[in-house]
Amino acid sequence: MNEATPFDTPAEAAPAPSANGARFAGNERAFWRLLIRGAVLLLVTLGIYRFWLATDVRRFLWSNTEIAGDGLEYIGTARELLLGFLIAIALLVPINVAFFLAAFSRGVIGQISGLLALAALGLLGQFAVYRARRYRLTRTVYRGIRFHQTGSAWRYAVCAIFWWAMIALTLGLAYPFAQASLERLKLRNTYYGDLQGHFVGSGTRLFFRGVLLWFAVMGPFAFGLLVAIDRVDWTALGEAGRRGGDDIMSRIEAAGVAPALVVAVLSIAWSVAAAAALYPAFQAIVLRWWISGLRFGELSVASTLRTRAVYAVYLRFMWIALFAGVVLAIALAITLALIGGLEVWLGKGKVTELLTTAILVGTYVIVALAYSTIYQATVKIRLWKAGFESIELTGLEALDRVNAAGAPGSAVGEGLADALNVGGI
Amino acid sequence: MAAAGTGIFFDGVTSARRPVLVELASDGVVVRDAEERDMLARWPYHELDHLAAPEGVLRLGRAGARTLARLEVRDPALATAIDDASVPVDRSGASERRSRAKVIAWSFAAMVSLVLGAVYGVPALADKIAPLVPLRAERWLGEAVDTQARKMLDKGDASRPFECGPVGAEADARAALVKLIGRLEAAAGLPIPLHVKVVRRSEANAVALPGGHIYVFQGLVERSENADELAGVIAHEIGHVAHRDGTRSILQAAGLSFLFGMLLGDFVGGSAVVIGARAVLQSSYSREVEAAADLFGVELMNRAGGDVRALGAILTRIAGANHPGMEILRDHPDTKARVAVINTVAGASPSPPQPLLEPAEWAALKRICTGR
Repeated sequence: MNEATPFDTPAEAAPAPSANGARFAGNERAFWRLLIRGAVLLLVTLGIYRFWLATDVRRFLWSNTEIAGDGLEYIGTARELLLGFLIAIALLVPINVAFFLAAFSRGVIGQISGLLALAALGLLGQFAVYRARRYRLTRTVYRGIRFHQTGSAWRYAVCAIFWWAMIALTLGLAYPFAQASLERLKLRNTYYGDLQGHFVGSGTRLFFRGVLLWFAVMGPFAFGLLVAIDRVDWTALGEAGRRGGDDIMSRIEAAGVAPALVVAVLSIAWSVAAAAALYPAFQAIVLRWWISGLRFGELSVASTLRTRAVYAVYLRFMWIALFAGVVLAIALAITLALIGGLEVWLGKGKVTELLTTAILVGTYVIVALAYSTIYQATVKIRLWKAGFESIELTGLEALDRVNAAGAPGSAVGEGLADALNVGGI
Repeated sequence: MAAAGTGIFFDGVTSARRPVLVELASDGVVVRDAEERDMLARWPYHELDHLAAPEGVLRLGRAGARTLARLEVRDPALATAIDDASVPVDRSGASERRSRAKVIAWSFAAMVSLVLGAVYGVPALADKIAPLVPLRAERWLGEAVDTQARKMLDKGDASRPFECGPVGAEADARAALVKLIGRLEAAAGLPIPLHVKVVRRSEANAVALPGGHIYVFQGLVERSENADELAGVIAHEIGHVAHRDGTRSILQAAGLSFLFGMLLGDFVGGSAVVIGARAVLQSSYSREVEAAADLFGVELMNRAGGDVRALGAILTRIAGANHPGMEILRDHPDTKARVAVINTVAGASPSPPQPLLEPAEWAALKRICTGR
């Protein structure tokens, strides 16, 4: 048996499979083709094709990933996703109608219905996230045995909402503890066959690894906010806002806004720039921490992911995005010229306006799809590769004696996640 | 044709990785343990399931099997032989491409029919359903919308009430308004009572809500030159009430959000398509509705014995010369066209001998928001 020679078109020379690691052998050119074709079809079907594209992407990523010498396999189908989406719509329509009617009723229910709807849909969104994870796990096969997930999705939803509220209240400081807690809950309920997973990543450790980043981003922000609060005469500003009128600007200036505003805007701009520059470092820290916390029975995982590698991924994305930006700008200029020509050709009127609108909206959609495609084809695939290839496994014997267990979960969670816009991969 | 080769077998029950010998029998693939030679599986060719695998690996399962048993073949000659022998195994991807082309064609057809549904189906359906909504439901809806509309319209100048007229000093004006509305309402013969209020807002406008609520803005009263002009605009708004346009537009909005918000457009950049399509479609529904309300208003003025052309006159005055912006996003038809239609319909009907209100009553009504 010759393991290195593929029988179709010759692939790029893949690194030798390591017995205690993982590798990703996906051909990036093929992934580009898949994504570009998918983007075009999304455009012409106004998004209906998304179930097939998502399935293709997952199948590509899974089946090209090899752990300890054996490949992962994704056995989900687009048909399941479509069905799950339709069921989710059937569930969500009555809920939406109920909230719509509640918004119109008088009294307390009408008053709090907006808040109620937000809370309910938030909870349902997290429920969907957990159920979607179950769907993906039960469609993941390794060595002829599927993964599965147990546990109550409602319990997860309540925990997740609680932790996201804590993250918001602490301006992000609770993030490591939230991640640790939620990952513990998820992994405790994750099984490979009859082999139970668990998560040993410590929130405190992640906190100390990331807290400097937090200061670099939030420090200037807080400073700007404090300056604004200290220097601006808020009662005068509130009065100016309430009275409105033509001289609102002069009243606002009288409240001492201008100098404070400059300081606040500058420090917040600094925060945003710092957040963008430090995001890859943050992602590397979290990914390394997460991978190193994964356990399945006696099997433990460690990650040697380099922060530098994550930066390289994003730099490459920026170069390609910049190049695409130039190309798209030229295309936009041609489009605008076309619209100008259209007005000369057809004269002003409904047809011209409809065509103009269609062209402008189409251009926007093409730009958005183009950047999403570039992001997936550069960042997503490379981070997937870097993440998997940084893995070191110990206690591999645990994987040799696993028995099949668990039944395939339904795709309703995926459908809900799609309909509520909380979808994952 | 290679009749045998090696592979890796997973039995789907345990995770054990077994090197196997693969033989191609006449009816199927026979899998034997590489050392002990006992048969592990015998899969008929037509039940083979060709599964996703990295390049250089042929991964097979058995269709319809309860376990996820897998056979992986890396030997190119053997893989080719299995491909030749089995119909479902198709490494060229031709059958996959055919089924995918079908998916694409049907998705495209679904998109087209959903868009046609939004353009033609939703307004037609709303037209059919709106008259079927019980009046009690519309009244309930009207009260709820009324509360919300008040919140939006009322800028909250605490020194004066939002509504003009209820205070004692404005009683004459109030009486004139009641008389004017009474004449129109009697001529209209509506299934639900009207609630017309003049409110303190400077725009020259009026709005009709579900359940017979009509808000006439102070600015409109001020810019009306006679009672018939004001009555003409109110008659147009009564047209919305008679046609149940408030209920209809809520139904249309709900239908559009369902079609565009839920079924279509959930992809990056799709929200732009949704927002654009909704704006254009809702404006186009609205233009039709406004034209119908104009016709109703003209007829109502005729029956009430008012000056039919007054609506055209005040529209021309408040609209000014030209609208800026795009025609397809305008929720009212072009003013010139509206006035032309109004005047054509008004046609031969003679100017009434006397206006709807006595001069003194009109003078009182003009002062409805001044508090004097």
